[in-house]
Amino acid sequence: MNVFIFYSALFCYLLSALSYLVYLIYNKKTIERTGHYTLLAAFFIHLVSIIFRYLQAGHTPITNMFESLSFFAFCIAGFFLYLKTTYRINSLGCIVLPFISILLIWALVYPTDVKPLSPVLRSYWLPIHTIFSFLGNAIFFVSFLVSILYIIAEREIKKKKSFLFSARFPSLETLDSINYRCMSYGFPFLTVGIITGSIWAGFAWGSYWSWDPKETWSLITWIVYAILIHNRLAIGWRGRKTAYLMIAGFISILFTFLGVNLLIGGLHSYM
Amino acid sequence: MQIVVFGLNHNTAPVEIREKLFLAESQVPQLLNTLRATGIEESAVISTCNRTEIYFCTRQADESLAAVKEILVNSFDIDRQVLEEYTYTLKDESSYKHLFLVASGLDSMVVGEPQILGQVKDAYRTATHNNTTGYLLNKLFHKTFNVAKRVRSETRIGYNPVSISSMAIELSKRIFGELHHRKVLVIGAGEMSEIALRYLKKEGLHEIFIINRTFGNAKKLAEDIAGIPYPFESMSDLLAQVDMVLTSTGAEKPLIDAGLILRIMKKRKNRPLFLVDIAVPRDVDPSVNNIENVYLYDIDDLKDLSQKHLSDRLKESERALEIIDMETANFSSWLRQSEKNPLIAFIIDKAEEVRVKEFKKTSQKLKNADEETLRNIEMLTRAIVKKLIHPHVALIKQDSDREIPEIIKRLFTLEEEDEKDLDNRDEGQ
Repeated sequence: MNVFIFYSALFCYLLSALSYLVYLIYNKKTIERTGHYTLLAAFFIHLVSIIFRYLQAGHTPITNMFESLSFFAFCIAGFFLYLKTTYRINSLGCIVLPFISILLIWALVYPTDVKPLSPVLRSYWLPIHTIFSFLGNAIFFVSFLVSILYIIAEREIKKKKSFLFSARFPSLETLDSINYRCMSYGFPFLTVGIITGSIWAGFAWGSYWSWDPKETWSLITWIVYAILIHNRLAIGWRGRKTAYLMIAGFISILFTFLGVNLLIGGLHSYM
Repeated sequence: MQIVVFGLNHNTAPVEIREKLFLAESQVPQLLNTLRATGIEESAVISTCNRTEIYFCTRQADESLAAVKEILVNSFDIDRQVLEEYTYTLKDESSYKHLFLVASGLDSMVVGEPQILGQVKDAYRTATHNNTTGYLLNKLFHKTFNVAKRVRSETRIGYNPVSISSMAIELSKRIFGELHHRKVLVIGAGEMSEIALRYLKKEGLHEIFIINRTFGNAKKLAEDIAGIPYPFESMSDLLAQVDMVLTSTGAEKPLIDAGLILRIMKKRKNRPLFLVDIAVPRDVDPSVNNIENVYLYDIDDLKDLSQKHLSDRLKESERALEIIDMETANFSSWLRQSEKNPLIAFIIDKAEEVRVKEFKKTSQKLKNADEETLRNIEMLTRAIVKKLIHPHVALIKQDSDREIPEIIKRLFTLEEEDEKDLDNRDEGQ
């Protein structure tokens, strides 16, 4: 039943991604509306799927790769819906939605069955730490995509040759402003994620900080974003420089999440 | 009935002849009424700075054409020979194909310009308000709007701007997004600045600062069009405030160099700055474009882009022509069908006659109604009539049995008496 709901959500996300890609080509309002409503439907079905899984497992369903990728995609969809209400960024759907769909397809590569929770994860810190961390990561993922678009569009305008990207996507100022918003929302989430993780570690392993690879990489990520925020506010860094640092920050997140889990291992390698 | 177009445009006539035959909006109704007085059943007039065209439907094309020429010679004080030399007459298929081309922007001086469709719509509106259109021109113009829409949506003919001012605005939209709350600085008070200012005003930009070496000229330009004049010395302060700079002075050396912009960008906390330099020699040092968050376009950049956009449009116009050929063939076949079966034309004419009569009666009663309400009511009547007669028309097209059309014809002619009864009953109420 739960997998069926998950597939339904994936189907709606794919439909929405397709609509947004067609919208990018034909620029028709009705196609964009189709994309928007299928995204809303997908988000709702995805929420139901996560609640179902929670009821089935009896704990927050962010404990293995399948659940993590699914929850990560859910957070991205939620944040994108929030951005859509604030900015006119419909064309970004054609970038964000395919990524959400890929994440969900990727999640299906891993076992989808519910397994008993390992003793270390049996804590009320699990939902607090994981939800904050994943929300922060999702926000920074959106900023990563926005930054890539910014760099391409800005280059086009500077080079004065063709206007394929800049004509289709939001203006440079809008992209930069989205980046700033991502920074100001993502950073607190990331910080709370790290702090709660540290408290939980204190309870679980007796030490708040043990320089585990995941902890170290989290700290590196946090420092990258802290530099970014400081430079934005104090020196007025914006535009291309911010975009490059946002990309660097997300690569660091990616390594923290995947590189450490899949390559290095350590205390967090239960996923 | 034949559809005929008589007129002239930028390809056939020089500007002084076009000016002579230009009709202001207020003059069009008079011409339409004069045309009606000569027995031309349906007519519409398109008059822009690049073209004056009279579209009309008539049963005697040659006679009507002669009458149209006579009216133009008398009304515009133009020599008959000059008129013959610079004008064109297109009949039947070539006439409506021409209208499709005009409305789609393919016959414009700047291929793909979007304004012409609005002008064609205005021409049709004026004709309908003066009741000089009938079923044929109504059908033709509605078809024309569909064709133009198809061309716009299926090709990229009007996708990129080609005029210098519109390109500058389009580029600034790519940097800033919405422009209405943005600040603009115009440096120079010459002709180019004036054109650019008018364009900026049209785009809804209100906060426009103008500076010039001679303050009086800046003040005059600000009073004539829009803007706030400032002394030339305040350039550096204004550069720190504005989002976009448009410069067009006669200065021999650059007014703005990289050093100045670097200092300004610190004050601006790196907020993006877009500079459009349309002066020759240039007012802004080209190295300014290398500074982060500063975007500089000079006249050559804009001309190159314009050339590229124009060649894109020409490529797209081939696809647009295919659409127009297809739609012309469709319209011809519709026309042939309605000609082949005069009963269809009869029914449509009859229904239109009743509709117009009833609409006039109602609009006279609705004295307080504004123009939009009346237009909506008119659209409603059109829609009702169209839906009511459609099954009959479809039946005639399908059925070869002659009895059915005969019955339908009787149904529509018998109403003469019934209508009087209905009218009396209406008034009695």
